[in-house]
Amino acid sequence: MSTKKLTELALLTAVALIIFVIELRIPNLVPIAGVKLGLANIITVYAVFRYKPNETAMVVTARLLLGAMFSGTIVSLLYSVSGAFLCLVGMLSLRNIIPKNWIWLCSITGAIFHNIGQILMALVLMKTTAVLASLPILMISGCIAGAFTGLCAQLLLNRLERRNSTQNQNHEI
Amino acid sequence: MNKKLIALLICVGLIFVSSIVIVVVRETQPAGQMVEIIQDGTTLYTFDMGKAKNQTIRIDAPDGGYNIITIQDGTIFMSEADCPDQICVHTGVLRSENVPIVCLPHKVIIHFVDGEGIA
Repeated sequence: MSTKKLTELALLTAVALIIFVIELRIPNLVPIAGVKLGLANIITVYAVFRYKPNETAMVVTARLLLGAMFSGTIVSLLYSVSGAFLCLVGMLSLRNIIPKNWIWLCSITGAIFHNIGQILMALVLMKTTAVLASLPILMISGCIAGAFTGLCAQLLLNRLERRNSTQNQNHEI
Repeated sequence: MNKKLIALLICVGLIFVSSIVIVVVRETQPAGQMVEIIQDGTTLYTFDMGKAKNQTIRIDAPDGGYNIITIQDGTIFMSEADCPDQICVHTGVLRSENVPIVCLPHKVIIHFVDGEGIA
């Protein structure tokens, strides 16, 4: 891996962590376990479309581990790991199907996978099917939050690509 | 736009719409009276909310944490917990079958159950 790539990935991880920590300070609108905006996923969605799968996985893993330390809830790491892992697998497998201007759809499916992963982990940890009751609510909130983060990632990607292309033109001149 | 994309779009749309339908249907049904408190897969208490006396219940988690559940005038809520996120406390009074009170860190769930088979 080149130094430039390493720096870019480290920068992405740092940005994702900052977003994550800021989001911790925003009070939850809906006090239901698992409902969250998931703003840090903007970075994940962006990385899925810009970088190789293993590079994206590295960014996400680092963000999860450090994020769990910052938020101080190690137990919730189990939930976020299972969610993020399923989300990543889902988004990476959809990456080839979804064109670049349809990122929001990728983000929504990612959010759905994320919530399914969390519920599966809750099923395993709590050993009761009572947690399934909140699955439909998580699906709805996931779709809305996923659409929002997806649109953010879309704006980000468009801007950076425009900037990259103008930079390249400048080089040619 | 290819076929796979359309299929995906339809799938996501179906999940979204069916979730809304499930939530709406469950919300319009009257909530049960039986409440269950579950910790780590085992049912600790069942109450008939119509008859339960006002009381507080302390549930200790194996890792040293605790949750305090209050029953007051036929309502049940989590009044105190020492977890960092406090989601269970902020959930407030248990109102519908859709929204159980869940404490993820201590694996505690409070939810409505169908009265059949318990009473």
